[in-house]
Amino acid sequence: MAEKKTGGFNEGKRRKESILDMSKYMDKQIRVKFAGGREATGILKGYDALLNLVLDNTVEYLRDSDDPSKLSEELTRNLGLVVCRGTALVLICPHDGVEAIPNPFITQ
Amino acid sequence: MLPLSLLKTAQSHPMLVELKNGETYNGHLVSCDSWMNINLRDVICTSKDGDRFWRMPECYIRGSTIKYLRIPDEVIDMVKEDAQAKSRNRAEMNKNRGGNAGQNQNQRGGRNGNRNNFGMRQGNQGQGQGNRPLAQGNKPRK
Amino acid sequence: MSGLESYINHTVSIITADGRNFIGTLKGFDQTINIIIEECHERVFSTTAGIEQIVLGLHIIRGDNIAVIGLIDDTIDSRLDLANIRGEPLGPVVH
Repeated sequence: MAEKKTGGFNEGKRRKESILDMSKYMDKQIRVKFAGGREATGILKGYDALLNLVLDNTVEYLRDSDDPSKLSEELTRNLGLVVCRGTALVLICPHDGVEAIPNPFITQ
Repeated sequence: MLPLSLLKTAQSHPMLVELKNGETYNGHLVSCDSWMNINLRDVICTSKDGDRFWRMPECYIRGSTIKYLRIPDEVIDMVKEDAQAKSRNRAEMNKNRGGNAGQNQNQRGGRNGNRNNFGMRQGNQGQGQGNRPLAQGNKPRK
Repeated sequence: MSGLESYINHTVSIITADGRNFIGTLKGFDQTINIIIEECHERVFSTTAGIEQIVLGLHIIRGDNIAVIGLIDDTIDSRLDLANIRGEPLGPVVH
């Protein structure tokens, strides 16, 4: 019976692998956001199933000195080669194509 | 209806996702998993204070950081159609199991049964829905 | 069985960890108390103006972000004069 249930489980198209295919980002620059508010960008050199990442030439964005609630695009520090803990990651996106834009929503 | 079934049905639809850190993401849902991790495409990110915006072609968001998701109203009706097909499948499964589920009244058996049932629901969720365009009524909260 | 089953298709008030109050029809939930609410609107309290209602539509709210789910009596609720109710907004849960 256990086998039958397992069969049913797999029949549905539930994939074991992550919905995120990190291989497409290999050797490309990605941007990551962490729990707690830190953000960084770096070149993806490796990853595992738990989404721990290895980033090279990593640059962290620092807080704006005028308004510490915001991150500055200019104020950065170089971290070099880092391991990002998967559990602390909030968001991953490719660095290319990310741009600050004016308000795209019609305001009332 | 299970929230994750609704989310799965919402694939290819536009949605607004607010994270626990207050940022909001408007984009089309590409994929999701049973942890509520999601992939969005054609995304607009809005800062917590609602005065800064970024465009990003795609992004992956960890489910545990989500506060809520705002989904187009019509998606809930599309789940209902799936759910009927699914409950038929479940009825089949129960038949195959025979009377066992009913007899197994001890706590362990009960839990086990539940877990497997959940697995089935997960497994049989409807896949891609039609790519229906939808007016972007989503707005960041001021 | 979760006590929430009896709330299905009834109007509920949900208070989230950030102190917001969502009102809508409970359409579903799961074991982590992720919740589907239909025709959701948010009630924003203020000490200087009446309660503002913001229409939001269909929502999935993550369970780990939910503090309270309460059943609303529609007949009592419809008698409320929201425009003349003042109240201090709730603060967020302090972790």
